[in-house]
Amino acid sequence: MRDPSGNRIRDIAVVGGGTAGWMAAAILARRLIPGGVTVRVIESPEIGIIGVGEATIPPIRLFNKALGIDEDEFLRKTRGTIKLGIEFKDWQGPGHRYFHPFGVYGSNSEQVSIHQEWLKLRELGDKSSLEEFSLNSVAARLGRIPGASASGDPLAPVFGYAFHFDAGLYAEYLRGYALAHGALRLERRIVEVDLRSEDGFIRALQLDDGQRVEADLFIDCSGFRGLLIEQALKTGYEDWSHWLPCDRAVAVPCDSASPLTPFTRSTARIAGWQWRIPLQHRIGNGYVYCSRFISDDEAAAMLLANLDGKPQAEPRFLRFSTGRRKKFWNKNCIALGLAGGFLEPLESTSIHLIQKGLTHLLNFFPDRNCAPVVEEEFNRIAINEYERIRDFIILHYKANARDAPLWNDCRNMTIPDELAYKIRQFRSSGRVVKYGGDLFAATSWIAVLLGQDVWPERYDRLVDQRDAAAMRAHLQQLRSFIGAAANAAPLHEEYLARRCQDSSVPQAGIVHG
Amino acid sequence: MTPEHVRSIAIAGGGPEAWLAAASLARLLKSSFCDVCVIDSPSRTAERFGETALPSFHRLNGLLGIDESDLIQKTRGTFRLGAQFADWGRMGDRYFHTFGPLGAKLDAVPFQHYWFKLRQAGDDTHIECYSTATVAAKMHRFAHPTSDRQSVLSFYSYGYHFHAGLLTAYLMEYAQAHGVRRIDRNVVDVSLRSADGFVDGLRLDDGSQLRADLYIDCTGIESTLARHVLEEGYRDERHWLPCDRAVTLLCKEATDLAPCAESTALPCGWRWRTPLQGCMDVGYAYSSAHLGDDQAVSALLAQFPGAALGEPRFLRFLPGRPAKFWEKNCLVLPGGDLEPLESTGLHLVQTGIARLLTLFPARRYSPNDIEEYNRLTGMEYERIRDLQILHFKATQRSDSPFWEQCRDMAIPDTLRAKIELYSQCGRIAMFEEEHFLEDSWLAVFIGQNCLPRDYDPLADVLEIDDVKAALLRMRSMIRESVETLPTHAQFVEAHCSATPSQVHA
Repeated sequence: MRDPSGNRIRDIAVVGGGTAGWMAAAILARRLIPGGVTVRVIESPEIGIIGVGEATIPPIRLFNKALGIDEDEFLRKTRGTIKLGIEFKDWQGPGHRYFHPFGVYGSNSEQVSIHQEWLKLRELGDKSSLEEFSLNSVAARLGRIPGASASGDPLAPVFGYAFHFDAGLYAEYLRGYALAHGALRLERRIVEVDLRSEDGFIRALQLDDGQRVEADLFIDCSGFRGLLIEQALKTGYEDWSHWLPCDRAVAVPCDSASPLTPFTRSTARIAGWQWRIPLQHRIGNGYVYCSRFISDDEAAAMLLANLDGKPQAEPRFLRFSTGRRKKFWNKNCIALGLAGGFLEPLESTSIHLIQKGLTHLLNFFPDRNCAPVVEEEFNRIAINEYERIRDFIILHYKANARDAPLWNDCRNMTIPDELAYKIRQFRSSGRVVKYGGDLFAATSWIAVLLGQDVWPERYDRLVDQRDAAAMRAHLQQLRSFIGAAANAAPLHEEYLARRCQDSSVPQAGIVHG
Repeated sequence: MTPEHVRSIAIAGGGPEAWLAAASLARLLKSSFCDVCVIDSPSRTAERFGETALPSFHRLNGLLGIDESDLIQKTRGTFRLGAQFADWGRMGDRYFHTFGPLGAKLDAVPFQHYWFKLRQAGDDTHIECYSTATVAAKMHRFAHPTSDRQSVLSFYSYGYHFHAGLLTAYLMEYAQAHGVRRIDRNVVDVSLRSADGFVDGLRLDDGSQLRADLYIDCTGIESTLARHVLEEGYRDERHWLPCDRAVTLLCKEATDLAPCAESTALPCGWRWRTPLQGCMDVGYAYSSAHLGDDQAVSALLAQFPGAALGEPRFLRFLPGRPAKFWEKNCLVLPGGDLEPLESTGLHLVQTGIARLLTLFPARRYSPNDIEEYNRLTGMEYERIRDLQILHFKATQRSDSPFWEQCRDMAIPDTLRAKIELYSQCGRIAMFEEEHFLEDSWLAVFIGQNCLPRDYDPLADVLEIDDVKAALLRMRSMIRESVETLPTHAQFVEAHCSATPSQVHA
């Protein structure tokens, strides 16, 4: 007897076959099909996949692990590269740069966070940069990929990485995975969504060939328009454009350039910022901008003027409004990816938000009646996480030192209370307030706050307990250790060639695609 | 330029909380960096005979470099795998809240859902059979957990029971050896700076003045310093946690040494029995609105488990919290005055000190530090409070006005949300700064007869026969492994037995 309550979900319909749709189908197929659940993906043949070169953050590796994916194969199939962090250029004006590393400063074993000691030495006249204490930052500059650090070494720096990959190839790869695990695919357009009159739940989808797809649970991965969550269920949208005014993007891939940088680059421009995502076979580029301050043509021209290689296609335009659905889960529908909301990819969180939505869905997997108390708990957690990521992105705009109308507006805007409190606490003491739903940990906040010139009024007083000379020697030792570890690591190109060895991808393509 | 930090700290109160705070501060702050003194009033109110530590105390041992055997030996201590709760849901019920997981995930689905599922299918195996700590506690067995993560004997942690007076003496000796000054005086007056209301100094009963940069109040309900400083005072939460008094007496006990305490619900509160080496700490925490002191003593003596050592002591609790834990230059570390039901007093002192150090203040106090301290401490306190309220709320007893009142009381929104989610689907909503994790909440819910309407549908993915087989393996392995452990009495005898002279000291 496998359905004691008689009310179990037997059929799931995933609407949309982009990154979100196939991520959902893959994990649901793996976890639920063995229990007799049917997973159908309805993919409209006309709709192209949004998302070009895709940049991620380290938790993507947990998703790969949950699927049981071999990371080498995954790198080969998606023409992926390694990402050690994000380089921010020109956010404080031309020529300025800083790095947001995916690994802590120092070694995690200190009683007082290492940036506090560094702040004190800086006050005493020391000229070293905080980045010298981050293995990720040093290795990224050298274009090298360190392996896992020696465990047990008290100086062992904490190292982490994520990937860049081709979003289209990623969706294709996960589609293969999902279908192999028993998911079904319907290449059809949805012409109507049928709601139950008694409670407004979605009953079925009417397809363009007359077919009707009934399901117990619907996963809306239909993109910005939110075919189910908004058009059918009228969930409502919370607009955040007063905090994040960029509303358009233009994207274009270009030829690769040497060396193959193991990081995403984000360069501030007059009316927004430009991304650069290096893949094995090309570089993904895009300009995220605010249409109040620049025209589409000007934005495209600026993007094309700032490429590392020859453009490989015509520029493609996207429109969006930053914000989120009032609920990600409404009745028997869960919105993932762009159907749930939009946050610009400044901190590469798009895929992570899909992943978290799926994790929460599996943690709170409902019955056919989708009890409101379960839906509410899911929304409480998901909304809280979404808003904390939003705050981190707003910080980049708020703490800018550029002179242009967009940037002046942002510097003077009122920001959410939680972010204001975090900034106030950092300014006061150099400490990073931690909230329950925070994705980004102290290192990330320290990198961006200091990177954008939010300086604490003082360092942690406990640092004064330590002798300044001993502290200087300790930091010097740590710096040498990190420098040596980074220099000994293989170049990004070598590292990828080794991991992608059995590939059908020609080796030459890795470096000069 | 060196910023001016706090150079002196005065702690008022001489109980285990005060000396725990002093010992930690002395260890973490060089005496040349910051001077620490304790005003150990000779006329302190009575304290409990026993004191209990959660597993978080291991961090303190590590920090202070305390040798566990030495500590247990000198405090007539015992080991604590958790507590047994009797008569809380209904008369005759018994359950354990121990320091370790209930079962293990299968196929990434939390264990409880499989247990709910099998129970629905008629399996009446108790969930406690899947907890190593509980099985060991029931069999009165104890040994340190192993470091082998493959073994079920690594799946638990433990705390301690101490003789409170001996623990105080132990921590005092440590603190004094690390430069803490002990001032054996009563505070007779607190003078405030007229400009800003900060504590300016303390007048002691020998006429002397004592001044410090920062003052820590560990005087509990007396609130010797804090009542002068805290503008919003104390929030009385007796409407949620009704027990505000206790009567306690030591018992000369000779029975088998249990590695856990007992908390038994009585008509107007609850009774603790905490095993110590050579004696047992027994007390009745009750609601003064429902029971007179004399009746409480009679009730305690009526079911006293052996011969009494000495005279009963009366204690007063303050169920509730200071509106602010830190205000101006005065920090309150509540401990012994809180509802002791989940033994969180020492733990809250530890986290309070840890938080103070991460926000170590300057003489020019930053309101930001104080605000952050109060934000975090308030959340931590409220999460612990909610678990305690659950014990009183989730009762089916109606044999006394006290329990009827508890059952019918309004509860905090956060606890209501937890109960509603659990009742629907057997999952635990977790908020910020939770000390007690899902398994603690589950132990209390299940132990007090609250079962969810349904379990996680993902628990249906595995075949039921495979689940049954996995659970059978799990509980057999736990049972067999626990049987290899020595008894708690043997373990104490072998490793940290108090000397006879200490036992009757």
